[in-house]
This record gives sequence, structure tokens and C-alpha cells, in this order.
Amino acid sequence: MGIRPGELTGLSEGMSLPELRKVITQENINLYAEASRDFNPIHINEDFAKKTPLGGTIAHGMLILAYVSQMMTAAFGRNWLAGGNLNIRFKTPARPGDTISVGGRIASIEKNESQTLVRCDVLCRNQNGDSVITGETSVRIAK
Amino acid sequence: MPERQKIEYGQLVTGYEFTPSSYKLDSSVVAAYLRAVEDTSSLYQDTGLVPPMAIAAYAMAALSDAICLPPGTIHVSQEFDFLDTASIDNTFTSYATVSKNQSRGKFHLLIVDLNVINQHQKAMLAGKTSFILPAPSEGT
Repeated sequence: MGIRPGELTGLSEGMSLPELRKVITQENINLYAEASRDFNPIHINEDFAKKTPLGGTIAHGMLILAYVSQMMTAAFGRNWLAGGNLNIRFKTPARPGDTISVGGRIASIEKNESQTLVRCDVLCRNQNGDSVITGETSVRIAK
Repeated sequence: MPERQKIEYGQLVTGYEFTPSSYKLDSSVVAAYLRAVEDTSSLYQDTGLVPPMAIAAYAMAALSDAICLPPGTIHVSQEFDFLDTASIDNTFTSYATVSKNQSRGKFHLLIVDLNVINQHQKAMLAGKTSFILPAPSEGT
């Protein structure tokens, strides 16, 4: 069973987060480079990137992480913007042409008098099933 | 963001504080960010709210502007705490401090703490970023 975006009643452990699917293109990567002011050639210069061990351009890790944040926003709304935490590891680069699935599941829910703390396991995979990002997120929901 | 002099990562010591960097996220910057990450959430439509990862992206860009990161640098892990909502036209100041710069054989582990405040000195974001870099060559 999954969380209905923005609906925070009836949360339970094991619930899945609203999954996103993103196709990575060089155009996306270039747009992100412009928007984030990160012009590292490994992301935007194909000639440079081909000569590196990576063999081609890769997406910014922060771009893929933005998708995780997008999923958390869809699930938890404004609570994520002021009370969100993420702790992730970058495992495999995402490349132009990859389809990235962004998903997760509620791992635990802790309630006290003032707030609910929801911890989630999150995972981004490419079309081959390789982990691109793994980690945990949490969000504080004030009562 | 103005161009700043970069420091070689081999020279960084624990506790080193980078020069703070300030940036304003206006509506055009936020719109470009949302377009780049293909985020069409209604939360950002006509509300004036800024995605927290946009603030994080600029904090990371400020850090990249401050360090000579050689080819082969790998961004291995990332932590962020989003502490408060931010609005369009807020001005942010990002502070970065080296919390670890450790040689591990042929590689270096560099960990930097990030803190971002808004123009009212309110804490907006905290984070920790970790890089693995090739060991500096002799003489650098």
C-alpha cells in the first residue's frame, strides 16, 4: 500500500512512497548545470568525459538527489521543506539515456506529544536494476 | 556568485573555514531550477516557496567554487537537514567548514560541513558532504 500524495493520515510502516520515474537526457544535465552553476566538465563536456574512466558524461549526483526530494515533497508536502532530513550514498553514476526509478518505503514511525517522526528507506535504481542512490530520509510532522 | 580563488584540497586542514558565499534566489533562478529537475509540484506554483534542494545546490556550487577538485573526484555521500521554508527573493549565506581531510592510501577522504542561513540569520539548511579524491601529487 502506498502513501497518497500529501495525505498524512493513516501512515504505517511498510507503506511505499509515491514512485517517480525520470529519463536522464544530456539536455536535462545541461539545464541542471546552468541552474545549479555546476559546470564540472564530467557532466557537460562529452569529449572530456569520454577520455575519463567513466567513458562519458554523467548526471550530477545532486540532480538525482533532487528527485528524491521531489518524491518526499509529494508524500509529505511542506513538512519536508521544514523538517526533512536525508542521508544518502551515491553508488553508481546516472548517464544520459538512463531511466531512474525513485522509490522508498516507510521504515518506522515515532510519535510523541508534539510531533511524528517518519523514517524512510529510499532507493534510486537505473533500468538495469543498479542502485544509483541508497539511503534514509526522515521527516518531522508537527501536531 | 563571484569567482573566488580556489584552494588545493591537499592544503585543507580540519577546521578550515571557507569564505562564506551569499546568493539570492529570485523567481527566474527558481523557475530555471524547477525546469531543470522537472518539478511541477503545486507546492511551488504561485506560492513563492523555494525547493530546499535549490538552496542545497547553490551551497554545493559555492563549495565547488572554493576548492580545486581534480578529475576523479567522487561525491560519495550527502546529508541535508531542511530546517525552515524559504521564499523567493530570500538571500542565503552558505558557510562551509572542513570536518575531515584524511589520506587513505592512494585516496583522500574530504568531509565538509555546510550551514546556510537566510538574510534574517535564520538557519535554513545544514549538511555534510563527502568526497573521495585521488591523493595529491608531490609538490601540490
